[in-house]
Amino acid sequence: MSTETPGENTRRVLSRVDRSEFVGRADELRRIVSHPLHEGPLGLLLLLAPTAGVSELLRQAYDQFYHQRGKIIPIFFVVPREEKTAVSTAIEFLNTFLLQYVAFRRGEPSLCQSSLSLNDILALAPPADYEWINQLVESYKRERFGNDDEALVRWCLSAPQSVPAQHGYPFVMFDAVALIDSPADGPALRTEMIRIFSRSRLPFLIAGLRRQMLDAVHDAQCDFAGFEILRLEKLRDEDGRALIEHVAHKQRITLSDEVRDLLVLQFECSPLLITTFLQAASELGVSLDTYLACERLYVDELMGRHFGRYFSSLLEDVAADPGLRRAVIRLLYESNTPGSRRNSFAGWKGSLHLEAAELERVLRTLHAHEIITWDGGIVEAGGGSVVWNDYLKIRYRLEIKGDARALVVAETIADSLKRAPNTMARNYRRVASLGLRDLLARFDCQRVPAILLDYARFSDAYKGGTLDEIAAGLEADPGLVRLPQVVHVASCAAFNAGAQPLCDEERCVVAHAFTESKYTDATQVVWMVAEIDSKLEANREVANVWCEQLNLMARESGFGAVRIWLIAREGFSPAASQLLAEFGAYASSRQQMELLTARLDESRAGRNEAASATEFEMVVPMGDDNELLVAHTVEEIARRLNFRPEAVNQIKHAVVEAIINASEHSLSPDRKIYQRFRVENDKLVITISSRGIVPVSVEARNGESEAASGEIQEASANRRGLGLKMIKSLMDEVEFERVDEGTSLRMTKYLRA
Amino acid sequence: MAEPASLFVRSRCVGTAAVIYASDYLNKLSGERIERECKRQLECGCQTLVIDFRGTELVNSIGVSILLGVIDVAEKSGAQLIFSDVNTETIQLFEMLGLTRHVALAKDEDEALTLLNEFAAPPQSFGH
Repeated sequence: MSTETPGENTRRVLSRVDRSEFVGRADELRRIVSHPLHEGPLGLLLLLAPTAGVSELLRQAYDQFYHQRGKIIPIFFVVPREEKTAVSTAIEFLNTFLLQYVAFRRGEPSLCQSSLSLNDILALAPPADYEWINQLVESYKRERFGNDDEALVRWCLSAPQSVPAQHGYPFVMFDAVALIDSPADGPALRTEMIRIFSRSRLPFLIAGLRRQMLDAVHDAQCDFAGFEILRLEKLRDEDGRALIEHVAHKQRITLSDEVRDLLVLQFECSPLLITTFLQAASELGVSLDTYLACERLYVDELMGRHFGRYFSSLLEDVAADPGLRRAVIRLLYESNTPGSRRNSFAGWKGSLHLEAAELERVLRTLHAHEIITWDGGIVEAGGGSVVWNDYLKIRYRLEIKGDARALVVAETIADSLKRAPNTMARNYRRVASLGLRDLLARFDCQRVPAILLDYARFSDAYKGGTLDEIAAGLEADPGLVRLPQVVHVASCAAFNAGAQPLCDEERCVVAHAFTESKYTDATQVVWMVAEIDSKLEANREVANVWCEQLNLMARESGFGAVRIWLIAREGFSPAASQLLAEFGAYASSRQQMELLTARLDESRAGRNEAASATEFEMVVPMGDDNELLVAHTVEEIARRLNFRPEAVNQIKHAVVEAIINASEHSLSPDRKIYQRFRVENDKLVITISSRGIVPVSVEARNGESEAASGEIQEASANRRGLGLKMIKSLMDEVEFERVDEGTSLRMTKYLRA
Repeated sequence: MAEPASLFVRSRCVGTAAVIYASDYLNKLSGERIERECKRQLECGCQTLVIDFRGTELVNSIGVSILLGVIDVAEKSGAQLIFSDVNTETIQLFEMLGLTRHVALAKDEDEALTLLNEFAAPPQSFGH
């Protein structure tokens, strides 16, 4: 039956571009293709960011399955935009399923593209499949003329389960991105689809907008454990560039590097927008070699070509009635300014004059497309891509404001051209920026030289020094500061919209953190960090403006304890440093930042080494003098490392004390002590941990308030307190590590000559 | 009814002195036994106490705390206290924690008893 010919494996069946030209989704494609055969949940949910694009990815997957000719029979179904009811969509699915099944079984890929009735498909069915397909078609005819729409939808969606197991396993890939919410009185197709597929024994994939899909899984009352989740975010910048180059090359479009880079940013790496735009350039024979040519075409697209139709269709999904659509456009546009973005459900209801149920549907659709964020109460406008916002502005000017079309076109082109260099400059700054968010997100109670956060001291100590000299100095520097553990980082603008004009998002960040190893109000702190533009050392005025702005923002945001950290490429003038000291702010140059980053990298590498073969672990129950067992073990390890007898004894004593401390001080559920002995080049690192809750009184004592030596009465009355003092005297470094519960004491002893 | 054997600590009396022998690991349990024995000896009229550490390998901080308590009790009773046969590591520990400022150390039990016989001066005159 197979009509496969040499070279068939490279032929496209449903895909629209050659595999070699399919850019940027290699990992995702691999996951999809491996999904039906791997052990684990049968369902795969593809959660898309709006305009992330998924269709070609699924088509590529289809082709790979098709050419494998294995037991997996690929079925790819795109919910058609024009199908407005669940019933018609379900019937279309049934037809597509049978068509693609027969095409696969006959080995005739061209059949997939044909338009055939069920009877036509039946006529083409291979003899081995004729009987079950005939039964299915007959059964369909009966169901079709029943009165139960929900039953018909379910029946159609269940059709793949009719395939006899000996013929293979259908793998349905359902592109439900275009699926709109059904009217309240009809069956909810997305939910039904998830319910039926998740109850079948067949692997399946459903792709949809991320916000919609998660809601649908909840609505279907399915367990998320039954699904694997694959998130499709926007492409990386380099993949975006590669995609533009590929498509432009294929379409023979002249393209400058500058325009390519601008398109990546303007379209936010959306494969959908990129390919649509380049298709338009090809259709119109436009060369994309200048910003002007690019923005002219862009505005042309927005005014009524592909982009315009795409967003117009989206708005029609939101509001079918033209009057309501105008009201939605007005409300969305006028809400898109800082200070007016947040509004209540009642506010929207009043503005749109809608019944609650209809308003909910409108908000749900806008929320699904991430044009707004609606949590059931507050509606936050101002979302959506750059392209969407340009489109919205055009529609507003044309329909609400009544501006002349020519004026709108001219000014939109002009605005886009004015924006282009800013967009590029902002991107260059972003690329060159220090990556504050990433850096702060890695703060996790590491100890680093305090001088890295103090430009004045750093400058005095190391200005003019070579990197080696600085490295050696830092290595020997005993002045360490403990970084906080950062639990959340976001741009300042995320907390205060007024911060946006102040600087780029990635150059001013807010990090919520805890300063010590316990999560308490007293240890909570907010770090406000800004990267300042300054060619020379930043002066006092600049430092003052930043400190005041950040303090104001902290007050407005209701932050408690705040730590300001300013970073300027060349550091700060002496006057600025003095001012920052008065504010209690940290100050660093770019070089200090880079050194700090390197420190954190080393720290991370050090942690990775922890799992190496030079680590010993031991678990003992609390009590029964089991600390002696551990002491003898560590004694043996220390001897092997050639520690001097005195040092061996000190280590042994410290371990005993740490175990006693852990035993006494935690309300441990498992009554066990966990020991880790890590051997490094020049040191032995011992970690003694236990689970449980440390009583507050003890927790405080784990700090510094130990009995002074010689104060006999105090010490004997309060028998504890000596242990930690002993440990600190016996070991070179002692630190309580952050743990979620219980205690974890890390002690280090250096091997000295 | 006799106390269980495990509650006892080995000791002997030499005139008005009592020698109490610490076990191999001076922790809370063994420390409290020593403490109880010292108090008992003091109540019996003992004027000097020698705690002998010849069999002691390790002293933990709770043991040290208890020894501090014993030093306190001895001082209040006007009794002399000597630690004998303390190993080097434990001496370092005692020094670190300030015990050696309040108690005399002797090389061994005999030296401690000899010193006691000669005893007239304050304990600071003893050395180890």
